[in-house]
Amino acid sequence: MEWIGFANYAVFMAIFICIYALLSLGLNIQWGFTGLFNAGIAGFFAVGAYTSAVLTSPAADGRLGGFDLPFWVGWIGAMVAAALIAWPIGKICLRFRSDYLAIATIGVAEIIRLVIKSEDWLTNSARGITDIPRPLGDLSYTMSQLAYLGIVMAILLVAYLMVERQIASPWGRMMRAIRDNEDAARAMGKDVPYRRLEAFIFGSALMGLGGALFAHFNRSITPEAIDPMVATFLVWIMLILGGSGNNRGAILGVAVVWIIWSLSEIVTDQFPHEYAVKAKYLRIFLIGLMLQLVLRFRPEGLLPEASGERKPVGKPSD
Amino acid sequence: MKPLLQMTDLHGGYGDANILHGVNLHVAPAEIVVIVGPNGAGKSTAMKAIFGLLKIRGGSVTVGGVDITGWEPNRIVEAGVCYVPQVDNVFREMTVHENLEMGAFLRSGDLSAAYDRVYGLFPDLKERRKALAGNLSGGQRQMVAMGRALMLEPKILLLDEPTAGLSPKYMEQIFQISRDVRDTGVAILLVEQHAKQALAFADRGYVLASGCNRHEGTGADLLADRDVADMFLGG
Amino acid sequence: MGALEIINFYLVPGLVVGSIYALGAVGITLVFAILRYAHLAHGDLATLGAFLGLGLVTALGISPYLALTAVMALTAVVAVGIDRVFYDYLRERPKIVTVMASLGIALMVRAIVQMVWGVDSQTYTRGIVRPENWFGIRVRDRELITIVAMIVLVVALQLFLQRSKWGKAMRAMSDNPDLALLSGVDNGKVVTITWVIVGGLCAAAGLFLGLNFELKAMMGWSMLLPMFAAAILGGVGRVEGAVLGGLIVGVAEEMSTLFLPTEYKAATAFAILLLMLLVRPTGLLRGKVL
Ligand SMILES: Nc1ncnc2c1ncn2[C@@H]1O[C@H](COP(=O)(O)OP(=O)(O)O)[C@@H](O)[C@H]1O
Ligand SMILES: [Mg+2]
Repeated sequence: MEWIGFANYAVFMAIFICIYALLSLGLNIQWGFTGLFNAGIAGFFAVGAYTSAVLTSPAADGRLGGFDLPFWVGWIGAMVAAALIAWPIGKICLRFRSDYLAIATIGVAEIIRLVIKSEDWLTNSARGITDIPRPLGDLSYTMSQLAYLGIVMAILLVAYLMVERQIASPWGRMMRAIRDNEDAARAMGKDVPYRRLEAFIFGSALMGLGGALFAHFNRSITPEAIDPMVATFLVWIMLILGGSGNNRGAILGVAVVWIIWSLSEIVTDQFPHEYAVKAKYLRIFLIGLMLQLVLRFRPEGLLPEASGERKPVGKPSD
Repeated sequence: MKPLLQMTDLHGGYGDANILHGVNLHVAPAEIVVIVGPNGAGKSTAMKAIFGLLKIRGGSVTVGGVDITGWEPNRIVEAGVCYVPQVDNVFREMTVHENLEMGAFLRSGDLSAAYDRVYGLFPDLKERRKALAGNLSGGQRQMVAMGRALMLEPKILLLDEPTAGLSPKYMEQIFQISRDVRDTGVAILLVEQHAKQALAFADRGYVLASGCNRHEGTGADLLADRDVADMFLGG
Repeated sequence: MGALEIINFYLVPGLVVGSIYALGAVGITLVFAILRYAHLAHGDLATLGAFLGLGLVTALGISPYLALTAVMALTAVVAVGIDRVFYDYLRERPKIVTVMASLGIALMVRAIVQMVWGVDSQTYTRGIVRPENWFGIRVRDRELITIVAMIVLVVALQLFLQRSKWGKAMRAMSDNPDLALLSGVDNGKVVTITWVIVGGLCAAAGLFLGLNFELKAMMGWSMLLPMFAAAILGGVGRVEGAVLGGLIVGVAEEMSTLFLPTEYKAATAFAILLLMLLVRPTGLLRGKVL
């Protein structure tokens, strides 16, 4: 019965890859196509997860909701909530170079983490929110996993097609024009901060949706469910390795990095306890090193942005 | 005479596109040479090319016979070439005197003679030596910029539109100072918008258009040339 | 609440933590202005400095104050090394790529701290230090030393920047990088000197943070936001602005606990940051906006 365990694990991995792929697509809209540096991915993810959790979980004492709404309401709510957080941040920061956005998004993720940890009435603090319904979650374990995989794959496909269409549209060409030469774009009368704001909000909404899908998959969400720095950073390395500016690259990068990340965990879990803790940090060190190597030796990623479109962000400028 | 500065068949630009399509020019010691041409002709770009501030795709620049193409700016400065860009040519948040000190960055030893010389050329600056360069008027700022470049006692001085936006009084003053500087043996290559005045005052001139040489000759010849006159001397 | 309580419970602790932020913010402002990117590994470099100090204190049995100069020198070497190995190759690329690399460095440096020193909180010295009483104002020695050390370091830095040849070159590079190059300034040397200074200041910030509170792997990262808020509040590129900003952010954080739950101290820095970007991005002392 070894292979059933293996198949279950593969399905589990695939679901995670799809969820991360949504984050990576969201980041690709922000960074790959528009050149915006979002260092608070985990924050938008958490907002989405908690929003959907509050909206869809059954009523509970001592905290807001749950409102027991259908899951799709929660998912839309997750996107809206993430977008609403992105809006003021983008409004303030997108007039400046992306460094400022990086700092502000680090800040926003930190504040979100504090709110989640300390606001009992909203998030139930450390105990988190449980009993989050999973669509088709009443089936047997394997079937329900498979069903959920189907759902996230469908959502990923829709998101992918939407982003692809958007990027091929005049809007997408304009975004790349802005990214490659802001001065020229400004001179052509394009409202640069406004366009960037659209991209930032759109990308953040996808990250919120990713959070919601994660919460419903786990059926619960707690402040410890996700390490903000590591999660944010993983998405970054996924996109950069895969090829920023290329949606297929963004998804490929997720698969490659997630498989490396998970397999390395399996390896280090075999270590005796005292080394296992250190090994966890060694993995983080190595993933950081991997980013440095990719930035230096293959900045265009595994699947570079299609030629004819200009250089990806991060290629030498002249 | 053997040229001090020579640019041969230079091609290059900022991004993927070329702006310069084979520019040739040369400057002899203690000569004043002016580059004129319509806006966007690539005059500033040609000057930046000497310092390698853009992507050079062909051709070469030599100073005193030595090929300096691709050198780091600080080595080119050491070779005796000083450059006053068209814009942003002073350290705004440093005092006038500190601007001059930066000009002498590569020099050591007693610099009092150099300061005296520059303050002698620009008496206005001496009074305002403690003022921040960013707080000066446009004309004074241009003097700081030239003063900074002269601190190194270069063999050749590159000036990009030193009179742009200045009143005629200042323009005359800048031209006069340029002549004084030349009389101390320094060659000057300058870009000018005020083509008529500049050609009258320079030894030789080049007309640049669309990144190529169009005409060259003595100032008087160019002023007399019908084509040149039609192009931009206002008929 | 009386004036003395305000001073003892909010102003003094605020100035102490503000001095620590100031040390970090000065480094951030120098990197921002001279190298032209936001250095996100700044906090974790401070963490490394703090733990290097712990290493010296435990290995040699010396006091943390004695360890200070050695730790500053060590961290300066590390900072220069990081620049050489990782950032230098990205110099020709858009600066935001280096920002990204620095986020990775932050994670890597922290991972090293966690591997070497573990994840539990530690302290330089054991025992509780009672504050001295100066006419009703209660200050601990270490708090006084923190503030004085910050002032001494910043004054020394200002003298260097105003008087020395290479200090002027750094200011020139911050003011007008192209013109600095055209004046013959060797960019590589300025970058190295900047990292020596920034690494040293980072280490001092980390060491004093560890001295006044405790050492943990996240200590520097949680300081990143207040340090950036301080640098932007003061005006990017303004050393005296970064000090002013650091002190204001420190005091504001302490004061915020009068109105807000203590958990939200960190939100104060964030609010200051956003407010400044909204109303006066050049900062109090008219710095740069990148
Ligand atoms: N930094 C730059 N990046 C890209 N293109 C530039 C830059 N500077 C100038 N150009 C372009 O190069 C051409 C020549 O400019 P320039 O040399 O400044 O002209 P001139 O000094 O003769 O007026 C113009 O078409 C201009 O748009
Ligand atoms: Mg010009």
